[in-house]
Amino acid sequence: MVPHSPFRMDPAKIMDEVSAFQRKLASGMGQLRGARQPGYANTPRELVYSEDKLKVWHFKGEKKPTSKTPLLIAYALVNTVWMTDLQADRSMVRNLLEQGEDVYLIDWGYPDAVDRWLTLDDYINGYLDRCVDAVLQRCKLDAIDLLGICQGGVFSLCYTALHPHKIRNLITMVTPVDFQTPDNMLSHWARLLDVDRFVDTVGNIPAALMNYVYLSLKPVRLNQQKYVGLVDILDSPIELENFLRMERWIFDSPDQAGEAFREFIKKFYQDNGLVNDSLEIGGRRVHLGAIKHPVLNIFAEQDHLVPPDASRAMGRHLGTKDYTQLAFKGGHIGIYVSGRAQREVPPAIHQWLRARD
Amino acid sequence: MNKQADDFFKADAMKADLIKDYQELARQSWETFAAQMQKQFGTAGAEGFSRSSSAKNSSANVTVDHALAGLKSYADWLQGAAASVSTPQSDWRQQMQQLFGGASQPFSHGFGGTDSSGAKAFVEQWQAWLNSNQKTGASGAQPQEQGSTTGFGFGHEQHAQHQALADAIAQHLEASQRYQVLMQRSNAQAIEKMQAKLSKLAKPGQQIESLKVLYDLWVDCAEEAYAETALSEEFREAYGEMVNTQIRVRELQQEQTEYICQQLGIPTRSDVSSLGERLQSLRREVRNSKTSSAASHAEEIEALRRDVAALKEQLLASKASRSVVRKSHAAKAAVAKAPRSAVKKSVTKASSAKSPKTAAKKTAASTSREKPAALAKTRKRK
Repeated sequence: MVPHSPFRMDPAKIMDEVSAFQRKLASGMGQLRGARQPGYANTPRELVYSEDKLKVWHFKGEKKPTSKTPLLIAYALVNTVWMTDLQADRSMVRNLLEQGEDVYLIDWGYPDAVDRWLTLDDYINGYLDRCVDAVLQRCKLDAIDLLGICQGGVFSLCYTALHPHKIRNLITMVTPVDFQTPDNMLSHWARLLDVDRFVDTVGNIPAALMNYVYLSLKPVRLNQQKYVGLVDILDSPIELENFLRMERWIFDSPDQAGEAFREFIKKFYQDNGLVNDSLEIGGRRVHLGAIKHPVLNIFAEQDHLVPPDASRAMGRHLGTKDYTQLAFKGGHIGIYVSGRAQREVPPAIHQWLRARD
Repeated sequence: MNKQADDFFKADAMKADLIKDYQELARQSWETFAAQMQKQFGTAGAEGFSRSSSAKNSSANVTVDHALAGLKSYADWLQGAAASVSTPQSDWRQQMQQLFGGASQPFSHGFGGTDSSGAKAFVEQWQAWLNSNQKTGASGAQPQEQGSTTGFGFGHEQHAQHQALADAIAQHLEASQRYQVLMQRSNAQAIEKMQAKLSKLAKPGQQIESLKVLYDLWVDCAEEAYAETALSEEFREAYGEMVNTQIRVRELQQEQTEYICQQLGIPTRSDVSSLGERLQSLRREVRNSKTSSAASHAEEIEALRRDVAALKEQLLASKASRSVVRKSHAAKAAVAKAPRSAVKKSVTKASSAKSPKTAAKKTAASTSREKPAALAKTRKRK
């Protein structure tokens, strides 16, 4: 027996629906055609240190910082400055400045063939260390606060374990520690990758390839449904601009330095070095138990790139007694750029730091 | 056919004609839209991520590329779905199969590039490479079982390279097919999930009345099924094998390119890579020497500061001892003039002041012993 139909579609209404879609598409064409490349928030900033393709920026707020300790932000190598400063009303750095933080940020730049041999040691004990030193010297301090985002959070954990005296408070955002939780799709795929042959053959990992892999995590939603939704906002210039800005940011990614990529896949995704306590960077053992600093760990509950459990594991491996965990209701992207994130995340960071300043 | 389905599918011939007309209109509308977008932004086509990402690409351009690719498959599906729902069907499950199981299913673009079309394009590219090489004089290599070829003589090495590439392409095709089977299975699971969800929506008030709602439900089911597949052990192996075999093909192609370049005296990728490695090693060395030199300067400054502090102490001590001596002389002079009782007191004071003088002398001596050593250390570092 055929069960009752779940469809109740009136052909006339369906026609209306389809023609409405086509009308929106046709009229939106003009909007899309006339759309200019949207700019970013571009909060005023000053260059305080540069080396190779890397830069350290000091952000300037409308008021003087109230915090005594500067906060240095390190994001992931696949990202750009704009992730923290996307648009005026969705800028993490702008909100941190408004809270009273003194914000510095590492801009990793866009590696090219010359940077193919950069290792994790070069990034963590080299670049990151010299960026920290630059801020320390500028502020005449012995230690600063460090905020690491995603892979930048992993770098920050390693750095704090290796250079504990230079860090006062550590904040990590959407940072994986256990890279082999059952729901970690990226890790699942990377486990059997012959990364040596991959890097030896490809060299630097093209950003387009990285983006392609990220899109493959939710292929229908990210390759199609998102653009079907775009049709509904084509007649709204502001929403269209926001959408285009987000797209610009998402697809404007740096290539990955080959050696650092090789090491990152092997040591973190394949060997799960932070959890197994087997990680070495530049010949030095990285032991999370060495981190006795106050740590604030913020993760996103709907994160499809860094599952919450991958991040929650941090609390079990740190040596600190001052560990705070904050779950954000959103995804990996939303935690930086959503309206909710702007309302919740920077104030939470500031309050936590203020109590330890 | 149940009553609801009967009501739903009671489309008269006029409506069917309208739908046909509409489909044609929609098709034309889409083609015009796509053509204008491509004209406006100069997009090379909706498919693919082959373009290297760069800040230079305008976001509108990139977005139009992606949007066109996504919207095209959605628009195709929409047209097919509109026609399908206007045709009376006795079994909604069969209709669902038509909507989501066929070539027009919205899933197809979602996996564009990861599925067989991507693999096919890749293999075609390398097959073309292989063919062009064969035309330039190499023997016609066909995939063979491992270890089945033996060879010797002039040109054997090149033949072996071609053979290895042909084998690698065959292995990659095999791996891609295995991957493709999993994707098809995932699609079938998505349909099962969709049926299960839809069967719970047969009550009035819960039924699906719009194609967009149906599409969104499909996306949920498709992603759910895909996630289950993508997190399976079987997928992990298939994915790893597909990527690794693809890279093996590329590796062999590079080896052949290098061989040709070497014959022609053209610098190869390995040469450039080797230079890059050497350069990075030098950059590291320079950085380290700068850091250690800065550290040694800091140590040197610290040593000099210690020396200065010691000298200051020495100076103060000698000043103190001189003032004690002066006081002692003054006391002696006073004794000569003063009465006996007063002399006694003065002598006691002078003798008690002798110990700081000795201490000052000792300090000076020890500082002068340390000083040359510290300076010698500083000089040595220089």
